[in-house]
Amino acid sequence: MNLAHLHLVMNHVPTIGSVAALGVLLLGYVRRNDHLKHVGLEVLFIVALLTLPVYVSGVAGYFEIKNRPDVSVDAVKIHQDVALFGFGWMMMAGFVAWIALWQWRRHGRPGRGFVPAATLLLVMTLVVMGRAANLGGEIRHPEILTGGAAAAPAGDPDRFVTSAITEVAVYSHWAWPAAETVHFLGLSLSLGVLLAINLRLLGFMSEVPFAQVHRLLPWGMLGFGANLITGMFFFVGQPGQYTSSNPFYWKILFLVIAGANFLYLTVFGKAWKEGESARFDPNIADKAMAILSLTAWLGVLYAGRMLPFLGKSF
Amino acid sequence: MLEWIEGTSVGLWMRESPSVWAFPTILTLHTTGMGILVGASWLLDLRLLGVGRSTPLSAYRWVFPAITVGLIINLVTGVFLFIKNATTWGTAAPFGVKMLLVVTSVVLLLPIRKYVRGEASEVGGNTRLLAIASILAWAAAVTAGRLLAYLVV
Repeated sequence: MNLAHLHLVMNHVPTIGSVAALGVLLLGYVRRNDHLKHVGLEVLFIVALLTLPVYVSGVAGYFEIKNRPDVSVDAVKIHQDVALFGFGWMMMAGFVAWIALWQWRRHGRPGRGFVPAATLLLVMTLVVMGRAANLGGEIRHPEILTGGAAAAPAGDPDRFVTSAITEVAVYSHWAWPAAETVHFLGLSLSLGVLLAINLRLLGFMSEVPFAQVHRLLPWGMLGFGANLITGMFFFVGQPGQYTSSNPFYWKILFLVIAGANFLYLTVFGKAWKEGESARFDPNIADKAMAILSLTAWLGVLYAGRMLPFLGKSF
Repeated sequence: MLEWIEGTSVGLWMRESPSVWAFPTILTLHTTGMGILVGASWLLDLRLLGVGRSTPLSAYRWVFPAITVGLIINLVTGVFLFIKNATTWGTAAPFGVKMLLVVTSVVLLLPIRKYVRGEASEVGGNTRLLAIASILAWAAAVTAGRLLAYLVV
């Protein structure tokens, strides 16, 4: 299986996953059931997380098929452009869903307006992702085009957003170094927070209620958000050097594991049994989770820093 | 002197060994140490600024062992990285700036450590100022370190 194939397998996740998350959320509204809404937000977060490998495998697939005579590069690029917008909407929906879940755990209910906001962002995501999926289908499925001709969709190659980002990445003297700097600052912030919460799960500082390390999670999310934005700038700006780099795929894999673990730490309920200030003693499963989390984050760091050495990136 | 340092077998190994255990691993350890060191310091600074003020300061004592671990990793790996480029870095202003910022950041930690150990219950204006200075000094140190790769080749 090559990466183009992987993209064909995974590309249904953002659309079908969004429909699933939206369905559960709407059902929660219709039945006035908070538990369903909570599940809907969790599904939304997982779908947003899985959208990352979908996007990356799509770009990698492009490098695999772009020289085929029956593939229109412009058709791929316009698909990629819309997919990037869909990705952006998805990240915003996932981010708002995460805030709602964090508030829910901490205060027993989400902040006013956060669940409707996540739902609306998800609707927007679905619209844009649906368009991206349709444009993606047109790349290799002439049977869905009216008239049967494999005509390239109209679009000015000079005005693609992804091309504009590449231009900045390649020609700006300061953009890349500035983004790298922010990436390292974000790394430090995230690592600090993840270190605190996982040390607590491992049984260190056992006099501190879990709720008080949970309080730090938004700062971890801030660092992660900064790194997602700068990381996407690197990837969209210079995709070739990453798609040809094995450690990059390891990094994405570690990111998905670390992200799922981040959700787990956010909704983790054991420590809340006796009110917000409850202490808890981690058992072996909690400690295993903490080690998995630290391993995944250090894996992200290791694979990322090793990109120029184990791979060919800079 | 700088030429001698760079010419040692360590310098040669750092520059020319094709092994991932040489320069790549040292550099990755340096980044990991940075994350632990700066991340742990920032969390404490945020607490001093009022983030999660219901958490007792004593709950933050773990940051000092973490900071020490990060500091030791980065001192050792930093020496290796310096030996690799002694002649260029030894005379480059950005490298001097970075060292100054790292020393400033570490020195700022000393009164903070005293404060956390002293178990005072109030966070006064001076402590806030100290926390802000610490956050900015570390951020500047990380920025200077990252930009070394672009400013001094």
